[in-house]
Amino acid sequence: VSAALIIAMPAKGRLQENAEAFFARAGLELVKPRGAREYRGSIADFSGVEVAYLSAAEIAQLLAQGSVHLGVTGEDLLREMIPETDERIVLIEALGFGHANVVVAVPQAWIDVHSMADLDDVATAFRLRHDRKMRVATKYVNLTRAFFSAQGITDYRIVESAGATEGAPAAGTAELIVDITTTGATLAANALKVIEDGLILRSQANLVAARGASWGEDERATARLLLDRIAAQRRARAFREVRTRFAGCDDALLAEARQRFGVESPFGGPTSSGMLTLHCPPGKVHGLASFLRERGAENISVADLGYVFSRDNPLYARLSAGLG
Amino acid sequence: MTTAVIRTKGTAEARAQALVGRFERAGYVRVEPAILQPAEPFLDLSGEDIRKRMYLTVDPQGRELCLRPDLTIPVSCDYLASPRAGKPAGFCYLGPVFRHRENEPGEFLQAGIESFGRNDIAAADAEMLALGLETTAHYGLAAPEIRIGDVGLFAALIEALDLAPAWKRRLIKDFNHKTSLAHDLDRLAIAAAGGPSEYHGMLSALAGSDPKAAHALVTDLLSIAGITAVGGRSVGEIADRFLEQAALGAQTSLPAETRALIERFLAVAGKPATAVAELRALAKNAHVKIDRALDLFESRFGSLVVRGIDVSELFFSTAFGRGLDYYTGFVFELHDRETPHNGPVVAGGRYDGLFTRLGSPTAIPAVGFAVWIERLAARGRKA
Repeated sequence: VSAALIIAMPAKGRLQENAEAFFARAGLELVKPRGAREYRGSIADFSGVEVAYLSAAEIAQLLAQGSVHLGVTGEDLLREMIPETDERIVLIEALGFGHANVVVAVPQAWIDVHSMADLDDVATAFRLRHDRKMRVATKYVNLTRAFFSAQGITDYRIVESAGATEGAPAAGTAELIVDITTTGATLAANALKVIEDGLILRSQANLVAARGASWGEDERATARLLLDRIAAQRRARAFREVRTRFAGCDDALLAEARQRFGVESPFGGPTSSGMLTLHCPPGKVHGLASFLRERGAENISVADLGYVFSRDNPLYARLSAGLG
Repeated sequence: MTTAVIRTKGTAEARAQALVGRFERAGYVRVEPAILQPAEPFLDLSGEDIRKRMYLTVDPQGRELCLRPDLTIPVSCDYLASPRAGKPAGFCYLGPVFRHRENEPGEFLQAGIESFGRNDIAAADAEMLALGLETTAHYGLAAPEIRIGDVGLFAALIEALDLAPAWKRRLIKDFNHKTSLAHDLDRLAIAAAGGPSEYHGMLSALAGSDPKAAHALVTDLLSIAGITAVGGRSVGEIADRFLEQAALGAQTSLPAETRALIERFLAVAGKPATAVAELRALAKNAHVKIDRALDLFESRFGSLVVRGIDVSELFFSTAFGRGLDYYTGFVFELHDRETPHNGPVVAGGRYDGLFTRLGSPTAIPAVGFAVWIERLAARGRKA
């Protein structure tokens, strides 16, 4: 039996939907052959992979232990739950969803507090006045401790909070909080404000590899194929295909287009008849189209790309370098 | 092999027991606090940074417990809970403590002494150092390197300086948490007054006004907004600091002459007698009154001499602090000159601030030291 590559996927919620959509775009359809309630699955028409559906926190834990090879979870949980994170896991790719910032927030009424330096001073003043330390409610115990320590803040206590952290100051169980926020609306609704330089981590969902997993030849080969598809899709999404043909299309023009619009020419420079295929970042397509017509192009077609496969595979290169 | 290990262990054990026997004969009552302790006091007193070195667990009621990372706090808590709280009492102990350490066992032995409730400060301080030296002698280390300091001197200097309260808090805090504050003075700056510019006009208007009226105004404004106590800070407390910031104005870095004075002060080191003379001269030139703290420091010399300690053998440094904010006075460390990088073999000091932090309504004088048994025993084996 060849060893399977185990991928840990979020088992519920928006994170699951987004992760599945991400894999689907790369032509990797996650299937649960034994029904939707099953916590084990695979990838359609792709052998050698086992998908384990788990909670985001469990995924971080199993990645740390090396009991799964790859996983999708938030960087906030990875940094919080895994000591010496970068020695245990490799962040292969930020996935563009699950955005959340881990921030320090204090009551809006603290009109004297804007910066972490203010908070430092308030913390010491609080201890001197009350003979106890200011309490910080959070589920990010380790991130909080590391951040406060780096800021030189010592007069505080952490109160672990399992949920509804933002309610702690109003409930009187803490003076301030460290929590995740996306829009800040929940914080504002609880009369809290984010401290200006109190951003601890800008987090999003990541595709992650466990350094401690058993990476035999089989697993590496499967991972290479998998990451090849993801890389091909990623590159496809980063570009539009622009095609044209005109007599004035030459190497000098290509060099200028490269420089002004960041285009790539995956199939080389213009042919002798002036045929050219370019890959152009989506935001530069219109500028490029005007430029080409100014230089003599009659017609230009622009199309979305499905996949762009290349010989090099930056994602696998990252994994391979990380595993050593 | 096995028997040898057991015999070594047995000898080490007997030697440590004999040490505590000496402490008992010196009048200290031997106590054996529980190994499993509530985590709260350790985290509260030593800071959250200790959490990563502690062995923590949670009981079914959700209370955080730990394997004791030191014995000072358990001995202090037991004393505070006893009917003798507040009265003079001396305790000694020997037992395992638990701290996660890189490349060293997480469980190791500590012995030590705690002396509570004595008002003869200088004599009690001297007795601790004398017993510490008796401890190293017990292990054949007759002339350890003796480093001493006095946290009270720096506190007295800051108290005597004409500085904004925010500066005083900051300097005391940093002194407690850094081995060398002098190196950090460069980077020392406090938050610009009031933060965002929309407050600047109001802050400068308030800066010149009657403090009482300004306080009433800010308190009223917060009350109008429907704010009472928020997150443990009262409206009055917020108003106080808001106005403090106003008074601070643009003074966001330490005045140059103050900085220079602190640097010169913290640079004083050497034989205690010379150091005191230097500090007196320094204070006099800067017109800063710290005589009381210096007098106490000097009165300790007499007590040390009575105990048979050659004061000129001590190495004093004003910058030497114990890294914990409840230390308030005399601090000392004994080092093995042969292994100066292994950390102290005995360390202690005065922590009159401990008991109020543990919930005592009144301050209780406290002084003591801890002994790293394995460090001393390792020395014995080598010899």
